[in-house]
Amino acid sequence: MISVKDLYFSYTKKPFIEQVNFEVESGEIFGFLGPSGAGKSTLQKILTGLITTYSGSVKVNGTEVKQRKNSFYEQIGVDFEFPSLYEKLTGRANLRFFNSLYQKQGDVETLLASVGLLADADKKVADYSKGMKSRLNFIKAILHDPDILFLDEPTSGLDPSNARLMKDMILKEKAKGKTIILTTHNMFDATELCDRVAFIVDGKIKALDAPHNLIMSKGATKITYTYAQNGKEKIEHISLRKTSEDELLSRLLKDNQLLSIHSSEPTLNDIFVELTGRHLQ
Amino acid sequence: MRIKALLKGDISFQYKYGFYFLYIFFSAIYIGLLFTLPESWRGEAALLMIFTDPAALGLYFMGAIILLEKSERVLDSIAISPVKPVEYVLSKLLSISIISTVVGILIGMAGGVISNVFYFCAGVFLGSFLFSAVGLIIAANIPTLNAFIIATIPASFFISVPAIAYLFGVKKAWMILHPGVSMIELCTSGQNALPALLVLIAWTALLFLLSSQVVRRMLLSVGGVKL
Repeated sequence: MISVKDLYFSYTKKPFIEQVNFEVESGEIFGFLGPSGAGKSTLQKILTGLITTYSGSVKVNGTEVKQRKNSFYEQIGVDFEFPSLYEKLTGRANLRFFNSLYQKQGDVETLLASVGLLADADKKVADYSKGMKSRLNFIKAILHDPDILFLDEPTSGLDPSNARLMKDMILKEKAKGKTIILTTHNMFDATELCDRVAFIVDGKIKALDAPHNLIMSKGATKITYTYAQNGKEKIEHISLRKTSEDELLSRLLKDNQLLSIHSSEPTLNDIFVELTGRHLQ
Repeated sequence: MRIKALLKGDISFQYKYGFYFLYIFFSAIYIGLLFTLPESWRGEAALLMIFTDPAALGLYFMGAIILLEKSERVLDSIAISPVKPVEYVLSKLLSISIISTVVGILIGMAGGVISNVFYFCAGVFLGSFLFSAVGLIIAANIPTLNAFIIATIPASFFISVPAIAYLFGVKKAWMILHPGVSMIELCTSGQNALPALLVLIAWTALLFLLSSQVVRRMLLSVGGVKL
């Protein structure tokens, strides 16, 4: 669905995106994960044809992006980080207008209902909450039933309940077979939603794999236990794979002297820091 | 029929954002003013008002529309839609030109200056189209309303001064090569109305092509790259 080969791009004389290569399969959720300024949004702009002055090859749905025609946008949908809507028009009027720009047009009423905005459809967008604007912006991106959906920080600034709604909407699109490119610096979203993620730092891909594989390849699950010794609480950490070799743990278990025991997996953020030396947030 | 959809959207946008109210407001003031003037002045005063209506209002309204769309990030949505720059420009310019022509006819009727309906309507419509294109070109390259207003001063001066001079008696045949003068010549159905029509069509076509190029660059600049 998407094929990027030897991509290079620069805003100035200094390279900004360098030697980027990856492919995205149809029906996959692919995440660009990285800190602010790493090049994620620039990559998305290249993929969506907003930047065409790149070198290398970027093919989206079989089209070399720098040679795209306007019909290219019938096949892709883009949900920007910030709402891009007429604030003084109602939610319904906004959707009807943007819907009318496409050959394949969606059912505005059904889409409004699907995100719980039908009752507020005649309110001006300026009167919408941030969560409502985000939901409206999302369904604006899928009005024309695009094959590929580009989402830029879709849960950014949303409260947990609206973030959940947004993630459910994304998963619903995946269930329909859509290919989704997700740009985020939120490791939890990436872990939950993405089939594969690319770690982007300084315009380069530092790692690319399924979140689970990245976690398992670098960090084994650890066990942390505490026990009392000479009236003081002591703490020990061991790898899950080495529990049978830990004589202290065996003895504490046998004598029922453990105060606590926990297992913990590293997060995608831990792996990101380990691989790139940078923090996501 | 994307142009029809765009035009409908632009008219709806201009209505909701109060641009039509401003047109009605200014037209009412213009027409009211006309009737306070001595009858012998009305013809020239009406033409001056018609000239400033599409020229000044079209230019400033178009600037305001573009700056509003920029501030609400609507251009981001347009840039990733199938809308072509030429369609975007055509719709914007038509939407302003249509309302300007209606307002121009009302003022023209009140001032009793419409001697040839075709030339008069063509003059107002093409003049408005052209001056709105100038507003669009300026607004596309400018981030704030204050900067826009300053940037329009030389354009307004270039458009208005020769046209007003022509209206009030400085009449040389070669002056109809100027777009503002050709508009006045058309609206008054002067003896050079036909060449003036051709001149105004040429200017309008040129400014339309130029504004389409400018909008193409503006939409691509959503990606952060200046071409």
